[in-house]
Amino acid sequence: MDVVLRAEDIHKSYGKTKVLKGISFEVGRGETKVICGPSGAGKSTLLRCLNLLTRPDKGRVWLEDVELTSPSVNINKMRQRIGFVFQEFNLFNHLTALDNVMIGLTKVKKLPKDEARRIAKEALLTVHITEDLWNKYPAQLSGGQKQRVAIARALAMDPVIILYDEPTSALDPHLIGEVLEVMKELARRKVTGLVVTHEIGFALSVADEIMFMYNGKIVERGPPKEVVFNPKHEVTARFFKRISELYGGRK
Amino acid sequence: MFWAYVPYMLAGVLWTFALVGGGLGLGFLIGLPIAIGQVYGGRVVKAFLDVYVWFFRGVPLLVLLFLFYWGVFPALGHKLPALEASIIVLGLRSGAYQSQIFRGAIESVGEGQMVAARSLGMSRVSAILHIILPQALRIAIPGWTNEYAILLKDSAICFTLGVLEILTRTRYVVIATGEALLPYITAGFLFIFLTYGGTKVLNVIYEKTRIPGLVWRM
Ligand SMILES: Nc1ncnc2c1ncn2[C@@H]1O[C@H](COP(=O)(O)OP(=O)(O)OP(=O)(O)O)[C@@H](O)[C@H]1O
Ligand SMILES: [Mg+2]
Repeated sequence: MDVVLRAEDIHKSYGKTKVLKGISFEVGRGETKVICGPSGAGKSTLLRCLNLLTRPDKGRVWLEDVELTSPSVNINKMRQRIGFVFQEFNLFNHLTALDNVMIGLTKVKKLPKDEARRIAKEALLTVHITEDLWNKYPAQLSGGQKQRVAIARALAMDPVIILYDEPTSALDPHLIGEVLEVMKELARRKVTGLVVTHEIGFALSVADEIMFMYNGKIVERGPPKEVVFNPKHEVTARFFKRISELYGGRK
Repeated sequence: MFWAYVPYMLAGVLWTFALVGGGLGLGFLIGLPIAIGQVYGGRVVKAFLDVYVWFFRGVPLLVLLFLFYWGVFPALGHKLPALEASIIVLGLRSGAYQSQIFRGAIESVGEGQMVAARSLGMSRVSAILHIILPQALRIAIPGWTNEYAILLKDSAICFTLGVLEILTRTRYVVIATGEALLPYITAGFLFIFLTYGGTKVLNVIYEKTRIPGLVWRM
């Protein structure tokens, strides 16, 4: 299989707190993998270690055939190829939806404006942000629209993989669906993704694998149906039982 | 007769403008980099900048004026004309105050903006330039408006160096006419008008550059 992202034995501590205690996994091209686990398990820390927004204390990360954790790597160059979608959207407040998607293309990739605009519009249409919203500022958009613009911003950079950190957790329940729908479409189009989420429906319908994190480790992993319905570990079972009670098995 | 001297007093407005414009401009050029250094710089840089801010905010303006005009500039081998010396001192001091305005503004932009910019592959410098500052400068306008009003009034102290601004001229008129009430009232109103007018202009700029829909959490 064509591995695009590989993490090997990632460790991270904050002071005396060991947040990540040796995490290893791979994501193949076109795959969608889901990470879930209780609050404080270290999921966000892990994602941030993958594009080195946070530097792991130990362990290595590869993107395609480049080792990101090698000191000689130009990390800014590599981050262009790793999309990141945040729980809190983090759209640039002073830019319109279109400019939010364009700025990475013009200022980072240094593409000419015309080309950047064309790519940005295409990305916005892919996430179903229609022309009437292109000149709106983030504060004028709904949460679901903001998150879809954020996905377009990542997508426009033509990334090797997109990392999502609980992309629907900050959304009002009635807006979650539109974002998940877009993410599913991308997954079906074989846009490689690594998704931290508690949306079991999403995992069951498009994920190739679920990795369950607990206490800084991946304690269980496997095909979504297996992990969700036949968990091998006590903590995993308890977690999914609680989730399905909370979310009522929403698909 | 006092009224004959009004044009002479009004000409002082230009000098006051020079002091305020120069002071604010220089203060901006000093204050913004200081703020950036204080937020994003290393420990040594921060400590150094803190000392600068602490000094220029702690020493009275009058002392600064005398210190630089009579002391520092001559010691550097350049006894500057009063206007230039005053502008520089006002600028150095305003830079210290403005740095605190910009620093607060930068800090209120929110960490997520920087993280998102870096995640796109932007360098730190590029993120500050394209993402942080455009927002921080907008946020800073009200504070900056305040600084304009304060600096405008403080600029009157430059009469002590004989800069031909509003107050200096007013004093000359008082001496020439032997009349104090009308000249000083006129001077007072000139400052009020300038404060009001400048504040108005800056408020318009603030409204015009507002980001639609956004309410900053300060
Ligand atoms: N910058 C930091 N400094 C200190 N501690 C941190 C920092 N970031 C995270 N932590 C700690 O690391 C642990 C894991 O945090 P992390 O955000 O990765 O968890 P998570 O699995 O994403 O949880 P959640 O579901 O709540 O988002 C927590 O105990 C947290 O307090
Ligand atoms: Mg998290």
